[in-house]
Amino acid sequence: MYVNEMAEEASVHSRPERKKKLGLLFWICVGWIALNVLAAILASVLPLQNPLFQNYATINAGPSLRHLLGTDDLGRDIFSRIVFGSRVSIEVSLGAMVIGFGVGAPLGMLAAYRRGKFDSVLSSVMYVFLAFPAIIATIAVLSFWTPRSLLKIIIVIGLASIPLVYRVIRSAAMTVATKDYVIAAKVQGATDRRILMKELLPNVAPIGISFLLVGIATVVTLEGALAFLGLSVNPPTPSWGNMINESLAILQTNPWLAIFPSLAMCLFLLCLNFIGDRLRAHFDVAEGKL
Amino acid sequence: MSQKQKLLVVKDLATTFHTPSGPLAAVGGVSFELEQNETLGIVGESGSGKTVLSRTIMGLQPRANVEVRGSVLLNGFEVVGASEKEKRSIWGLEVAMIFQDPMTSLNPVMRVGKQIDEILRVRLGMDRPAAKAKAIELLDLVGIPSPAERYDVFPGELSGGMRQRVVIATALAGSPKLLMADEPTTGLDVTIQAQILNLLEELKERMKMSVVLVTHDLGVVATRTSRIIVMYAGRIVEMGSTRDVFYHHRMPYTRALLEGSPKVSNPSHTRLLAIPGRPPNLLNLPKGCSFAPRCSFATDRCHEERPELEAAGAPDHTFACWNPLPVKERASA
Repeated sequence: MYVNEMAEEASVHSRPERKKKLGLLFWICVGWIALNVLAAILASVLPLQNPLFQNYATINAGPSLRHLLGTDDLGRDIFSRIVFGSRVSIEVSLGAMVIGFGVGAPLGMLAAYRRGKFDSVLSSVMYVFLAFPAIIATIAVLSFWTPRSLLKIIIVIGLASIPLVYRVIRSAAMTVATKDYVIAAKVQGATDRRILMKELLPNVAPIGISFLLVGIATVVTLEGALAFLGLSVNPPTPSWGNMINESLAILQTNPWLAIFPSLAMCLFLLCLNFIGDRLRAHFDVAEGKL
Repeated sequence: MSQKQKLLVVKDLATTFHTPSGPLAAVGGVSFELEQNETLGIVGESGSGKTVLSRTIMGLQPRANVEVRGSVLLNGFEVVGASEKEKRSIWGLEVAMIFQDPMTSLNPVMRVGKQIDEILRVRLGMDRPAAKAKAIELLDLVGIPSPAERYDVFPGELSGGMRQRVVIATALAGSPKLLMADEPTTGLDVTIQAQILNLLEELKERMKMSVVLVTHDLGVVATRTSRIIVMYAGRIVEMGSTRDVFYHHRMPYTRALLEGSPKVSNPSHTRLLAIPGRPPNLLNLPKGCSFAPRCSFATDRCHEERPELEAAGAPDHTFACWNPLPVKERASA
């Protein structure tokens, strides 16, 4: 009678390790992001030049050994300003995502699990907010909410991202919530909290993580856009966005000032998107692939 | 006295879904009883209300647009109208459920052992080592080879038959008195089907539980149930001991079902008889017998009046038909 089981057992053991490789490019991207984050954290202890020090002897200089990426129109070191500028981008994007996910994700999961009135009321409210372009809203609020500070920018962008996170997490959780294993957990007497934490959350997490990375990338660009419009941190504090903004006036004499911050932002976003994409593919639990 | 013995008493149970196109009577007034340590088969075509019936007995309904009337008394607990919180107290401990598709009834990102642990730790208050030991014992009980190693694998690393065994182990963790098995073998290979069914029967004896086996496959219920309920369009059309239903059925639908399933005794190339037509639209049930439009014995009365369950010769054998099939000689049984 157990012949079949023996065969099954054998197949469990002999099945070759199907470890999906993430690839070299993935790890290069992870390394780049890690480097960026590390540099941002350690900026003040690293042997960098003062990003605010104006050296009028060397203005608009090209890359050299003394100034790796050259200097801007006030003689400040671009490399050092890019590193310090990444602090703003990273702080704003992480902070905003903490707010967005902290509020949007639990609400989305709860709505998907509870359904009914709770879901319809909450979803309607969220869709009303979604209907209004987030960038216009953030620009409008930040224009009037002065004096500007990093915290205010984080709060505004964070609040604006809640409906987006809510929508993505809710739809992901909805497909999970109707699965048999959730019902099975329920008829074993699992409490709602347990189902949310142990059944829904781990199965929604992969989608959440890749959306988180995309979200960070989006917020980095959004902060860049705000900075470009002069609505982010006040100068002289550097940020990638306001460096690009400042470079506009002297684009013809010193293109480096535009190129390097743009390149920094571009690489950062590229890596984030690539990581997100790879992770989603990696964690895609394809059930039927036996 | 007899009331005390019954594990499950279902009375006039009706489940109606309120759909945009009107009320849909998925289960329309079903009554039956289940003794302890008994296996009951519920058979019927797709859409005859078997699954809705079993879920209603469990108390698993969507939160909105559904109306349940009647009564489900499960070991003295009234399921109909109970809150989710109250039902949670019986789920897992009094009644457990096995689902149709083992591919989707296990959490893909949780190790199988942990999924069994849950109920042991949370519901029975065991500590971690005790729960793990018990979970491994359960895996062994359901016939999983080297259970201690299997404790740590993910569902994706197991085959369908193995997963269904794990699902059964999870269901048994709380030693329920009633196990609802909703088409437990439909998603499995034929060879594995028999193993799983034998396992269920063995466990039923061992753990002294009752089993409700919901299926569309008469071959599945033939040897493993003591009684069978035949459902059509949300109603019971015939109910009786397995022997009576197989050999002394009175309802033409039961006969049609039996003729539609292959038998080993058939000569090869025997054509199976298909039941002409389709199950009725539950949104718009015929006034009379719901099987009448497809029944070759139907008379005018069948289209006008709905037959109620009436007693056949044998005890506990009832059927709902105006023109029942003739009684066969009982002596032959």
